[in-house]
Amino acid sequence: MAIPQVTIGQVQTIIPSAADIQEVDRGGQKIVFSGIIDGRKYALKFMAPNPSQVAGQNSEFLDDVTSRARREVETMQECSTPHLVGMGPIGLNTTYIAGNPIIYFSEEFVEGNNLRSYLQSNGVLSFPELVRLAFHMSEAIKAIWQFSKIHRDIKPGNIMRRRDNGDFVLLDMGLVFDLQDDSLSVCPVGTPLYFSPEQMDFNNRRMTMSFRSDLFSLGIVMYEMATGKHPFIEGARTTWEALGNIANVTPRSPKELRPELSEKLSDIITRLLAKRPALRYRSIELFQRALSEVEPGGGVQ
Amino acid sequence: MSILAQCGYGRGNKIEQGLNDGVIRGVIMSPRDERKDRLEQTIQDWGGSHPTALVMFDPQFYAASLNNPRDGHLSEFAYYHNNSNLGRTHFSGTRIQGYVRECLDYQHETFGSNVAYLISPTILFDAFRDSWSQISLNMAVESADYHSSLNSPQPLLISLAVSETAFQTIDAVEEFLDALTEIDAQGFYIIIRRNSQSIQNAMEGTPFGRFMYFCHVLTTINEYNVIVGYSDWHSFLLEAAGVTHTATGWYQNLRQFSLARFQPSSGGRRPRKRYSSAPLLSCPLINPELQDIHLANLLPGVLSGSHHDAILQNGPAAGEPNWTDEISCLAHWNSLNALFQRLSALPTQSARIQEAERLMRNALTLYAQLGSRNVSFDPRTGPDHIREWQGSLQEFRALAGL
Repeated sequence: MAIPQVTIGQVQTIIPSAADIQEVDRGGQKIVFSGIIDGRKYALKFMAPNPSQVAGQNSEFLDDVTSRARREVETMQECSTPHLVGMGPIGLNTTYIAGNPIIYFSEEFVEGNNLRSYLQSNGVLSFPELVRLAFHMSEAIKAIWQFSKIHRDIKPGNIMRRRDNGDFVLLDMGLVFDLQDDSLSVCPVGTPLYFSPEQMDFNNRRMTMSFRSDLFSLGIVMYEMATGKHPFIEGARTTWEALGNIANVTPRSPKELRPELSEKLSDIITRLLAKRPALRYRSIELFQRALSEVEPGGGVQ
Repeated sequence: MSILAQCGYGRGNKIEQGLNDGVIRGVIMSPRDERKDRLEQTIQDWGGSHPTALVMFDPQFYAASLNNPRDGHLSEFAYYHNNSNLGRTHFSGTRIQGYVRECLDYQHETFGSNVAYLISPTILFDAFRDSWSQISLNMAVESADYHSSLNSPQPLLISLAVSETAFQTIDAVEEFLDALTEIDAQGFYIIIRRNSQSIQNAMEGTPFGRFMYFCHVLTTINEYNVIVGYSDWHSFLLEAAGVTHTATGWYQNLRQFSLARFQPSSGGRRPRKRYSSAPLLSCPLINPELQDIHLANLLPGVLSGSHHDAILQNGPAAGEPNWTDEISCLAHWNSLNALFQRLSALPTQSARIQEAERLMRNALTLYAQLGSRNVSFDPRTGPDHIREWQGSLQEFRALAGL
C-alpha cells in the first residue's frame, strides 16, 4: 500500500486554519504532520485509501485504511480519558491530491517519548512508574471496553509518556475491534509479538475476545518495562516461534529477572499473562484494586 | 464459608432449629416441594425472625425442559407453569428474555429483601460444548442484563445445572470458564447432576478435581461468590477450593442431585438410620456399623462431638429409636459445619488444602484401625470415596498450580 504523497504546502491548502506545519512521522500507511490550530498543537494524519479495495464511490464497502481511520476517529470521539489520545478539531475528511483520494483527520499531539524509545534510552521503568503505567493503561482499556471495543494493538510503540506530567497515553485506535459490529473482520491484526493467545485463535475469536485480550498485551508491555525483556521471545528464532511461546510457554516470573520487584507486582504481571482469559482479571476494577494493593514504591520495602 | 439447608419435602422445624443452633447459615427453598402460599409466607416470616439468615429461592426452572417431570408444586408458580415442557426450539433470544424476566420479576417483587440473592433460571446440560450449554450461557447473560435494569434488586446469582460428565474434558471446562467470567453477577449457584445415586458414591476423582478447579477459578481467581447445591461430605474439599457456601438437605436426594428427583417415585422402604461421623467423613449405619465400633471400644474416635451424640454414646443400637430424622439432619449439618469452621479458620488456601489432606489421611487411618478390629463397612459407607477424593485433590492441585 502506497504512502500518500502529501507535502507541507498541500497540508496548508487543505487545512488553512493550521499554522507551523511540520512533518513528524512517516509510517507504512500514513504521514503525520504537526500543526497549530487555535493556539494548540495537533497531529494531522493523512492516509491513502487502498485502491485495490475501493469498489466505487457509491459502494458501502470501505477499504481497510478508511475503515481503520473511521474506527480510530469514532473511538476517539466516544472515549473520554486523558489516557487515550484525544480527537482534534478536524474530523474525518476526504480530499483529492493529483486525482487520488486522501483521507485525513486531526488528533491531540502528545509531546513525549513512546515506551519503545524510552526503554532504549532510559532502560526499565521504576516501580512507581510501572504501577502508574498499569493504572493509566487500565483506564484507557476501560474507556474503550465501555463501548464493547478492544484496542488489539497495545505495545510499547503505541504508549506515550507525556513530557509535561509523566502520564501515559495509549495511541493508535486504528485496529480497535467492535465486538458488536458484525461487519468488521475478525482476521488477526495487530503486532504479533503482542498478541494474546485468543487473538491467534482463528476459530473462536469473536466468542473469546474481550478487554482481557488487551490486558494480556498490557502484561507483555509491563513485563518488558519491568525487566527489559520480552516474556516470549527467549529461545524463539522467528515470529512464529514467539507466537508458539505466547500460546504455550509460561514465562519466568518478572521477579526472577528483577529480584527487587515486589512479589505482588510480579504476580500481577504474571496473572495478566495467563493463557486463559478466565485466569486474568474479570473486570478492570479488580485489576485496579490489585494494583492499589502493591506496596508504595512497588519494590521490596 | 458455611452450610446452607437444601430444602425439599418435609421441612418440619429443622431449618429453624439449625439456624438457632448456628449449624446452618441459611436456606435454599424448593418450590417443587412446598405450596406457593406457604413458601412465600415462610420466607416473609424468616425475614422477621432470622434477618441475618441467607434465604434463597431456587426457581428450579430446569424442570421446564424435562419430559413430563414430577414437578410437584412448581406448576403453582407462573414463571414455570407458563413455560413448561420446553424443547430445544423454545429457546430463541426473545423467549429466553421472557423466561428470565418472569422468573427474576417473581423473586424481586415477591420476596424483596427477604432473600439474600435473586437466582437466575437455567436449564440442565450434559457437556460444556453442547447446544444446551450455549442456551444456559445465553440465559445467564440475559439474566445479568435484565438484573441490571431492575430497581434496587438483591444481588444476582447465576444458576448452572451441569452433568458431572461435563467435567471429563478440561479444554471444554476452560472455554466455558472464559465465557462465564465475562458475566457481571455476584456469583453462581451450581448444581451438579449425578448420574447415579447411592450413599457416598463420590464423583469420580478426576471430574471432581476439575469441578474443584472450576469453583477455584470462579471464587479465588475471579472473586465471585459460589454456592454449590445438593452437596454432602465433599463440601470440605469444595471449601478448600474456595467455594463460599454449600447446601445440603435431610434426604439423600437433597445431598446429590439427580433427575430421579423429578421422575415418578419407585417407592421403597425407609432408609436405614445413619450417623454423620466427621472423623470418618462418612455416614455409617447406626446398626450394625456404629454398634460394632462401640463394641470394639472405638466409638469416641468416630463421634463428631455434637450434643446429639449423647443419644448414641451408651450403645448406638439402644439409642437408635431416639435418633429421629430431625436429629439426624441437625447432626449432619453440625458435622459438616464443624469441618468448614476448621478449614475456614486457616489463613491461606494452601493451609486449607493441607488440612483437607490431613482429614482424609486421618479418616483412612481410622478405617484401617476399625478394620483391624473386625469392624466391617457396607461399601456405601466407605472408605473408597476418600481414595477418590485424594485423586480429586491431586487433579485440582495440578490444574490450579497449588
